[in-house]
Amino acid sequence: MIAPFSHVLVVAGILFALGAFCAVTRRNLIMIVLGIEIMLNAAAIAFVGGSLHLDNLDGQTFVLFILAVAATEVSVGLAIIVYAFRRTGSFDPADFNLLR
Amino acid sequence: MAGSPAYAVDLTAMIAATMLPFVSFLTILIATRGRPRLSAGLSIGSVTISLACSIALLALHFHLAAPIEFSTRLLASGGLDIPFGFLLDRLNLLMIAIVSAICFLVQVYSLGYMAGDPGFSRYYGFMSLFTWAMMSLALSASLLQLYFFWELVGLSSYLLIGFWYEKFSATQAGKKAFVMTRAGDAAFFIGLLLLFVHTGDLSIAHLDSRSALSGVSPSFLTLSALLIFGGIVGKSAQFPLMTWLPDAMEGPTPVSALLHSATMVAAGVYLFARLFPFFSMSSVAMTVFLAIGTISMLLASTMAIVSRDIKKVWAYSTISQLGFMIMALGAGGYFAGVFHLTTHAGFKALLFLCSGVFIHRYETNDIYELSRFGARRMVIPTVSIVLGAAALSGLPPLSGYFSKEAIMGSLAAMHNPLWLAAGLAGVFLTAYYSFRVIFILLFPRAEGAASPPPQEAGITAGGHAAHESGYRAMAWPLIILSAVSVIFGFFKTSFKDFIGGGAAAGGAAGMEPSWLHIAPLALALAGVGLAWVEFGRKGAKQIGFVDRMPVLSRLFAERWYIDRFYGLVVEFVIDRGISRLCSQNDRKVIDGSIDGICEGTVESGWVVAFLQTGMIQYRLLAILGVLALLLLCFYF
Repeated sequence: MIAPFSHVLVVAGILFALGAFCAVTRRNLIMIVLGIEIMLNAAAIAFVGGSLHLDNLDGQTFVLFILAVAATEVSVGLAIIVYAFRRTGSFDPADFNLLR
Repeated sequence: MAGSPAYAVDLTAMIAATMLPFVSFLTILIATRGRPRLSAGLSIGSVTISLACSIALLALHFHLAAPIEFSTRLLASGGLDIPFGFLLDRLNLLMIAIVSAICFLVQVYSLGYMAGDPGFSRYYGFMSLFTWAMMSLALSASLLQLYFFWELVGLSSYLLIGFWYEKFSATQAGKKAFVMTRAGDAAFFIGLLLLFVHTGDLSIAHLDSRSALSGVSPSFLTLSALLIFGGIVGKSAQFPLMTWLPDAMEGPTPVSALLHSATMVAAGVYLFARLFPFFSMSSVAMTVFLAIGTISMLLASTMAIVSRDIKKVWAYSTISQLGFMIMALGAGGYFAGVFHLTTHAGFKALLFLCSGVFIHRYETNDIYELSRFGARRMVIPTVSIVLGAAALSGLPPLSGYFSKEAIMGSLAAMHNPLWLAAGLAGVFLTAYYSFRVIFILLFPRAEGAASPPPQEAGITAGGHAAHESGYRAMAWPLIILSAVSVIFGFFKTSFKDFIGGGAAAGGAAGMEPSWLHIAPLALALAGVGLAWVEFGRKGAKQIGFVDRMPVLSRLFAERWYIDRFYGLVVEFVIDRGISRLCSQNDRKVIDGSIDGICEGTVESGWVVAFLQTGMIQYRLLAILGVLALLLLCFYF
């Protein structure tokens, strides 16, 4: 591996922070889902880096699972968002507070 | 012994005598309320059988040597064993005979008195309830059982005083009677519990045997005797709790005759006689009883002097005669007290029933008005009421003379002459107030002497006929009771043998000075004479000597301010003190704490709801923040 492991972890950390920032601050459901995707991918990068660093393929297997989970999550999440948009005509998470 | 046929007969008779009125009470209240004649028939039928059974028992056991007891266990729990059964001795043989006889006569009389009343069936139902309770009370084998029926008797008294419940004063009087007797009963019950804790057995036969209480300390005996006497004070309307009885006259007159003069109020005296050996073990308690009897007797006599209401006069005289009985028993004169109870039941029921005839006819209780309407024209009641009053005053040869004389004999045996003096004063006052009523009734005075009774013009022919047939039902009991009042006194010696044979004959008989036979008679005659001078003779103004002293007459008419005193106590101590405290406690503490809990829940709900904004992103932020903190926590 060319890049040192610590750099990989820093990149993954920055990506995770960006994704979390996006998920928490954006007032748009699609952007929240996007932020969560980015956080998942940051975790995936950390797994790949770890797998290379420790010479253990378990990490890469996890990444495949993460991709699969992310794909299903996006499809389900988007479906929910579309349905919510049809019901209320809004993407704003502040409008979905019926349980309050 | 329970297997022999004679005992089986006794038991059957006792069960029939007590339970049949109860059955008729239930039947009347459940099934025959709409049919007054049937209800009356049922009730009178059952009381007739009771009377027959009582007389049969009395005849069978006229020479009863030892008390017979039938008992079974009502409930047992661990060491606690509550017996239930019948005790039969000379005293309660006599008592059930009196009770059933007076019940029978009064129920027959009520056929006339209550005719046409909308509550006719209910009336007979309650009468049966009373008969059942009173008969069972007299036959109870244990004090606890007696207490049950004691309370049932109180209940039926309450129901019958408030019988005309549309009348506000009647319901008030019923409530007053119930609450005041309850005050005494509470003491009675505490006394029972004390006795039970210390002796472990409440059976009457056990308590009356001297050996049973030999191990108990005298101060404890005095205390429990005084507490039980509290019940007697309440039920027999003695000094501190006496004022319910005059108010109880709001009930129908036959009820006053039966419950509030002849039988129910005598239950207190009966209990005293029942536990006489027990009570006489504490000389302090006996002195207290004697004092209370004396005070009640004198106070009530003075009240009777100024009352214009014929029923109230007899009510006060009931209190005073009960006081006489308590005095006699308290002085150790067992025979005298029981004898006076018996004769009093007869002549007092007679007086009330006669007054009932007048009240029924002229619809007023005021003696002066009755006299002006010409009450003396009704021959049978007038003759009977004169006989009754003479018996009450203790004029020979009527029954009251003999029993009063016996009481004076037992009072004279006391060391302190004060009691005898008080008793003689009572004899004088009794004669004076009873003949005051009689002379006012017999000799109407000027103001509109010839005015007809107000109802006479309005009564239709049919109504008059109904009055006449009712009058016959009312007249017969009067005749029977008058006959009893006249002849009963002559059976004094056989009565003395009968009563004295069973229990320890108290009093120091045989040391009566000779003047003692003359003094009560002379005083009674003096009372009658004074009444004649003031009310009877031609040209008398019909103003009593007490009426000339406004302070005194006001004091007597206000019942020595006892009721006022109770009113003040109730108002200031109970209403403004205890009740107010309780209501404050209820409103501020209990309601307040419940309201506080509710409001606290609602408010904390608001606080929690404020945290929940419904924004998913804030929660995400919170999760991340917590994770970050955990991270810091783990690494540093």
